[in-house]
Amino acid sequence: MARVVKTKTEFEGNFFEQYIVIEGDELTPWAADEKLEKVGKCTPRVDGSERVTGDAKYTYDIQLAGMLYGRILRSPYPHARIKSLDTRAAEKLHGVRAVLTHKNIPQIPLRMGQHFLLEPTLRYAGDEVAFIVADDEEIAEDALELIEVDYQELPFVIDPEEASQPSSPQIHLNGNVLNGKPEEYERGDAEKALREADVTIEARFTTQVALHNSLETHGSVCAWEGDSLTVWDSTQHIYGVRAGVAQALGLPLNKVRVIKKYMGGGFGSKNGAGKYTLLAALAAKKVGRPVHMMLTRKEENLAAGNRNNTIQYLRLGAKRDGTLTAIYLRSYAGLGAYSLWGTSPGGPARQLYACPNVKTIQYSVFTNTGPMAAFRAPGYVEGTFSFEQAIDMLAQKLHMDPLELRLKNYIDTNPMSGMPYSTKGLREAYERGAKLIGWRERKSKKITQGTQRRGFGMASQIWGGSGGPPAYALCKLNNDGSATIITGTQDIGTGTKTVLAQIAAEELGFPIERVSVELGDTQDGVYSPLSAGSMTLPSVGPAVRVAAHDAKEQLLSIAAQVLEKPKDQIKLKDGLLHVQGLEKPVELKEVLAMKLQNFMIIGKGARGPNPEKYSVNTFGAQFADVTVDTETGEVLINKIVAVHESGRVINPLTIGSQIEGGVIQGLGFALTEERVLDRHTGLVLNPNLEEYKVPTALDVPEIEHEMIDRADPYANNLGAKGVGEPPIIPTAAAIANAISDAIGVHVTDGPITPDKILKALNKTQIGGNHA
Amino acid sequence: MRNFEHITPPDLESAVDLLSERGTKSIAGGTDLLPEMKSRLRSPRRLVNLKALEELRYLKHNARKGFQIGALTTLAEIESNELIREKIPILAQAASVAASPQLRNMGTIGGNLCQSVRCWYYRAPEFKCWLKGGDTCYAIEGENKFHAILESSPCCAVHPSDLAPALMALGASVHITGTDEEGTVSLEEFFVRPKASNRQMTILGANELITEVQVPMLDGDSSGIYLKAMDRKVWAFALVSVAVQVSWDKERVKGARIVLGGVAPIPWRVPAAEEIVRDQAITEEIATSASEAALEGAQPLRDNGYKIALAKALVKRALMTLAERAKK
Repeated sequence: MARVVKTKTEFEGNFFEQYIVIEGDELTPWAADEKLEKVGKCTPRVDGSERVTGDAKYTYDIQLAGMLYGRILRSPYPHARIKSLDTRAAEKLHGVRAVLTHKNIPQIPLRMGQHFLLEPTLRYAGDEVAFIVADDEEIAEDALELIEVDYQELPFVIDPEEASQPSSPQIHLNGNVLNGKPEEYERGDAEKALREADVTIEARFTTQVALHNSLETHGSVCAWEGDSLTVWDSTQHIYGVRAGVAQALGLPLNKVRVIKKYMGGGFGSKNGAGKYTLLAALAAKKVGRPVHMMLTRKEENLAAGNRNNTIQYLRLGAKRDGTLTAIYLRSYAGLGAYSLWGTSPGGPARQLYACPNVKTIQYSVFTNTGPMAAFRAPGYVEGTFSFEQAIDMLAQKLHMDPLELRLKNYIDTNPMSGMPYSTKGLREAYERGAKLIGWRERKSKKITQGTQRRGFGMASQIWGGSGGPPAYALCKLNNDGSATIITGTQDIGTGTKTVLAQIAAEELGFPIERVSVELGDTQDGVYSPLSAGSMTLPSVGPAVRVAAHDAKEQLLSIAAQVLEKPKDQIKLKDGLLHVQGLEKPVELKEVLAMKLQNFMIIGKGARGPNPEKYSVNTFGAQFADVTVDTETGEVLINKIVAVHESGRVINPLTIGSQIEGGVIQGLGFALTEERVLDRHTGLVLNPNLEEYKVPTALDVPEIEHEMIDRADPYANNLGAKGVGEPPIIPTAAAIANAISDAIGVHVTDGPITPDKILKALNKTQIGGNHA
Repeated sequence: MRNFEHITPPDLESAVDLLSERGTKSIAGGTDLLPEMKSRLRSPRRLVNLKALEELRYLKHNARKGFQIGALTTLAEIESNELIREKIPILAQAASVAASPQLRNMGTIGGNLCQSVRCWYYRAPEFKCWLKGGDTCYAIEGENKFHAILESSPCCAVHPSDLAPALMALGASVHITGTDEEGTVSLEEFFVRPKASNRQMTILGANELITEVQVPMLDGDSSGIYLKAMDRKVWAFALVSVAVQVSWDKERVKGARIVLGGVAPIPWRVPAAEEIVRDQAITEEIATSASEAALEGAQPLRDNGYKIALAKALVKRALMTLAERAKK
């Protein structure tokens, strides 16, 4: 029976209370010492072979009969109005099938009417002007050059702090500050506490715009059959794309099918339908042929989202013994041209430590630049970079060990809500991490002379990752003793398919090879949430367990009737029925196919509500060992240690991949990755993989990682929490602190490139020697 | 990429003839040209494929002439060639830190010396900068942390080659073949500051090709080093690089050639610094004053002042390292 319950969900640092529909009875969580056979074991990816052999079909690979290719004309100016537009020459080019502009398509509002699919006002260099479909991509590109547009250039602004001033060019009717005012949080009286503190520090930090650079760019393939639309989309949320497309085109949900079987990365930037999706759908309808529209790498880096830049003013106050008494943060984040939400760079400042007086003032500001999108722990990566450096500055001033200062201010309850954490393994993470990096012996390993200075640093991580309802799953048992798990989630490359198979196999008592997992199709699947906010596993996994349990109970009932034994005398193990009193276990097939011919068991499951009285969060600590060349500014990372607590570990292999991936992306953010804008024209100068420098294999140091593997007794029936985002959060801060330890000065502007290190050194004794 | 015609000529002579027609470009490894064509920065109507010209793929060495390297020799071949590693390791070193392994498998030594600059204003089709025939160098007033600290007008892009400074330090020349004439020029003559009548960094005409790189025999006891500072461990152009080749008389410098990369529109040889170390045993003081002399006249733009300290440090480090080795 379906029931309506209230639950609290955390997403990307923001909390929501909502009513949700659940079904089926919640299962008792697996106990911490439960004897599990599949869960917790290293399990190679169930779809590894098709991924590495090229059998896996990504959105880009979709080929349909009669398919055309789309290309988008984009604004060359950061702020402009289209005075006139002439598409005649483009339309005449041989092979061009349609040209869409704001003049010939319906006005489709996006982001609650903040802007339109195509419109005469352009708010960043890269904003969509027109759409062309042609027989191939080259023709479409040739045609782009034939569209004549007369632009009226408008004044523009690219710096978020500057844009927050009323005198700046206004990007939207309601002003440049999101919701008209900053988001404020306060507990206690931070200003008073700062005045009364024994020791204070104050610093300004900036973080750069970082680009997701998913290996597979954003894109869709759209095909109509009558009034039904099928969309293959490279997305983290097939149901979100379905909802977005249905709403924009005025279609009922059952007429839009969204498919995404494999994905080449998203990192938060693919959480819904894009303009490319809607344009492809409209054009496909218009010409009556399927349309393939994938962004180029350059477009990906102009228009597909980014981690917004921030400017952060931080002040901390403490007692002489290290007790934190005050945290005060004012931050500005550049949203780019469009967004309905802003990130929380103040999250770590509010949550990481026991501090009675905290104030955060967060401005989210529109600028004439490419729109931001969620990027793996949005806000928290930027916030941790500054806050955890500030904690180190404070430690320095107090002559305290940075780890001791953090332990001094450790807290077991959520300082915002006062609720206890369901589990918090941060203390253990500190201990293990410190041991693995050699924290307490680091003074003997430090190099403080010469040009190769070695230093050590650390940083802490807090994040949500509880996941939550609604999420549903089905478990079909076939008469040959095989099972199919059906969900509507998506595997965005993290190994979702594999861990869901493990959970189902565990609950069913089946070998993992007998369980297949179907996902990534709105028509065949059942609703699951977006794969973001580290929520796929803790949302969908529990629903899968319930569905498998339901199916197993039905199977045992049937077996009991066929074998004429009481149900409680029958157990399922390794796909065999172990019946009390029978010497040999019974093959499922014997009971099912032989006796019953064709039939199918359908188990149903739903994710239950989140606990009411506990705060469900994830924690971790990372440590960095670096060598800085004081003459060239080059940084060599010798080693990163990452220890995290995300509840029960389902698969050490996939969790290891997440940790390593997060650390690598984090070190790119720390040292090399930065979107560069020309300040005079507002154009992006490095929308490519040559000059936007993601780490290469040689940039990756030894990464030693460990999980504090602890079943969370309250979070959900698995005891598992999310892990997708946590590992990127503390990396840049840990590296920054290690660099500061090596060279004796903090570099407070990211990314920490050689020029910034040399500039910082120039002001110190070390730099003075050779400058 | 726009459509183009692709011709594989039977021999060098026909290749050069084909190049005489307007809108024609030669292509060897393609690592520079193809990205330019994909971004529509260049759209030649016709490409002359040099890859099939086997006569340009060789690496010879003899005691009289030194090295003769065919223009189609790849960076990967140079990097791994035993003779080069033994006799002129500076060149193998420079090749080994250029680009990425994939690019080094494709890129040729001839193409490397002829490559366009990496300036992001030049590479962006949106900017019609001075080097592309426009009026303005956008980088001079713009985002210029990777740009020139010397000779930064009228174009402040830096020459991106790793091989060029090393070859110049070795006193190398290139053999150029054109429609009407052919000849050999030193790299100092080959690289020129761009000017309004020649908006490129070489003297190479549209219908000319580098066919061979020649590295003369080094006299007696000689050693060299190539140092490159990067903002990523691999696949990054030099923030600053330095190539130093020294001929020794025991521990004294008989002569030195010192060339900087990443500081000027062309590989930047610094005779003043070379003069300081000549006939000296290299001490820290000598190395420091050579490094000061090397950066004489440097004028940083807004974002690239760090390059001065960086270049000085590399010059000094290169000299000190060579001196250390000479003692052993």
